[in-house]
Amino acid sequence: MKSRRWRLALTAAMLAPLAAAATACASTAPTSGATGAASKSQFVIGYSQSNNAEPYRAQLNIQLQYFVKKYPNLKLLPITDAQQSSAKQVSQVQNFIAQHVDVLIISPNEPAPLAAAVQQACNAKIPVIILDRSVNNDCYTSFIGGDNVAAGKQAGDLAVKLLPNGGNVVELQGILSDQPQIDRDKGFREGIAANPNIHIVAQREAKWLKESATPIMQQWLAQYPKIDLVYSENDPMALGAYLAAAGAKRAGQIKFIGTDGLAIPDGGIRAVQQGQMAGTFIYPTCAEQAAQTAEAIVSGKPVQKTQTLQVTPVTPDNAASLYAQYDDSKFQS
Amino acid sequence: MSSRTTPASPGVLAPSEPPGRRSLRARLRGVLPVLGSLQGYIGLVLVIAAGMLTKGQVFWNQQNLTNAVGAFASRGILAVGETLVILTAGIDLSVGSLLGIASMVSALLLVHQNLNIYEIVPLCMVVGAFFGLANGAATALLRIQSFVVTLAMLNVVRGIDRMLSDNVSVGTQLINAQGQLTPRSAQFQVLGTPGHNVFTGLPLPFVGRAGIYYPVLALVVVVVVFQLLLSKSKFGRHIYAVGGNETAARLSGVNTTYVKIAVFMLAGLLAGFAGPIDAAYSASADPLAGSSYELDAIAAVVIGGASLAGGRGSIVGTLVGSLILTLLDNVLGLNAISDNAQLIIKGLIVILAVVIQRPDFFRALGPAVRRLGRLTRTRTGDPPGEVASGSPQPQSATPPLEESR
Repeated sequence: MKSRRWRLALTAAMLAPLAAAATACASTAPTSGATGAASKSQFVIGYSQSNNAEPYRAQLNIQLQYFVKKYPNLKLLPITDAQQSSAKQVSQVQNFIAQHVDVLIISPNEPAPLAAAVQQACNAKIPVIILDRSVNNDCYTSFIGGDNVAAGKQAGDLAVKLLPNGGNVVELQGILSDQPQIDRDKGFREGIAANPNIHIVAQREAKWLKESATPIMQQWLAQYPKIDLVYSENDPMALGAYLAAAGAKRAGQIKFIGTDGLAIPDGGIRAVQQGQMAGTFIYPTCAEQAAQTAEAIVSGKPVQKTQTLQVTPVTPDNAASLYAQYDDSKFQS
Repeated sequence: MSSRTTPASPGVLAPSEPPGRRSLRARLRGVLPVLGSLQGYIGLVLVIAAGMLTKGQVFWNQQNLTNAVGAFASRGILAVGETLVILTAGIDLSVGSLLGIASMVSALLLVHQNLNIYEIVPLCMVVGAFFGLANGAATALLRIQSFVVTLAMLNVVRGIDRMLSDNVSVGTQLINAQGQLTPRSAQFQVLGTPGHNVFTGLPLPFVGRAGIYYPVLALVVVVVVFQLLLSKSKFGRHIYAVGGNETAARLSGVNTTYVKIAVFMLAGLLAGFAGPIDAAYSASADPLAGSSYELDAIAAVVIGGASLAGGRGSIVGTLVGSLILTLLDNVLGLNAISDNAQLIIKGLIVILAVVIQRPDFFRALGPAVRRLGRLTRTRTGDPPGEVASGSPQPQSATPPLEESR
């Protein structure tokens, strides 16, 4: 009898947090802005990064730390790295919620798995800023992202400009199911539609990787005697294709267009400057806008729900100055 | 394996030969077991035939084949090291990460220390061998399963790699103030940047004065050296012994601890050797370079006829497995097969290759083929209405065939 009562009490004790969690989820409605937080002098920001090991995201981290420092009333907690695991990212976001940060910034790894975690943050009245990739939940305060369709479209426009008489184009794609891949491909096709004499003769998935692009380009060079332009959905693949073409002594006859435009020694801006690529497009990291938006939220200013940032075209003329403007080492302190 | 292979190679088994030729025959007998059974090459022959039938000269020319083999060379070298580990019934999942850190170290040594390739490559091999030694020590001395040890090492080494690089790829094509490649960068290119060869200008057989593509040369040299090590040295026999039956090997005096540590160290050494090739191939070291290469390496080993249970396999077999993987990729690419279909075809062909190359495949297939042959003969001989009645007749002829098995 006694033991059964103990077991009952134990079960109840175990269930209590669950019940509390369940009611918490059901009761509160999402709110925006930091209500009643204006009296504090220091506001804490938590940032959940989906994967540190991508150069673009490494740059984002560095820039966010730099721009948050510009606002003395903001303090950035150590950035968490979900290492491409949505499950890991959910628990990291929940940790930030438990610490009750004043603003939560998330670069979601995938749209669906993060939806519930974002909802928990909204329920806890923590304003959420979503960066770059979408999440299947619109209770966030602001979404800041680049426009991948526009990035592809501008690349297509550049291709039309580079090939006034038309020509054969090959396209190197990222992982086929990735949204940036789908959008950039769509935009590029819209762009080159302006000249019906431009044909995409081949397209292959090189998984965003330089080392995968090289053998693919070598196969294309063997198959097609005339390739006029390579469109690559990121810079490393374009440079991998360039290596293959240079090795076959055909780089001079082919124009290369990339995307991303990272200002690192091994990045796309340098490659344009050195004449390896005809052009690339700086895909915005959104770090500066994220810091601005966080500051606006904590000081009670209105923020836009959706902020779409444009890509910056990199040409041989402006490459040097853009490199200086975006150079990573400038943001490191 | 060797005892089984000799009958499969016809030319050698001429019944009576003059004594003068005996030495040649003996010599051939010494070499052929190294090459393995002819059956092991069927998959490769089929892939090459598919390439030649569909693409002809576009496929079968020196440039395309060099490109195809060069693209896989660093993984092929990993596979050689992996073969040694698998022969002892272990597995090394960390070779991809070891290749990654070696490629990063090579790029950093070039960019920050301005070393030449004769310094970079040995240093990278030391780095690889160091982590390989750690793998081996943990497996053999701490008696942790190699799967667990090397899975952990995969993460540890990748973490160090990413820390070293700060998550940013490091380019190896350094430009000086005059807009030219620095001498050391230009030298680094011969390690595998497409279009750069070694021994250029020498009148070499097959390749002529164009020279040899270093990754291909490196792969061939590694294969030859390690095949000889396996089949001609005491250490090689000990590797097979440990994989065949570790207890028996230990009781008969083999230092199994030493053998196990040594194979992991050699796998690490080879990963370190392959790292600079990978960096030169992409003209940059990526913090994620080599991710999932271990799977390609293990696939090459298994397609090459090795048993994951240890004790069976050869380096030449692994080379064949590597060639099948990379030429298959090349043939599918040249035929512009869609990416999704490629995944399916590659997967199925890998299974097919493993099945065909089983030693007992044709023996199991033989009676079935003969029965089929008799059936068709009966069919063409008999009037169409009596096909079904023809079946009991061959059955009577079956028992002697069964005996021959």
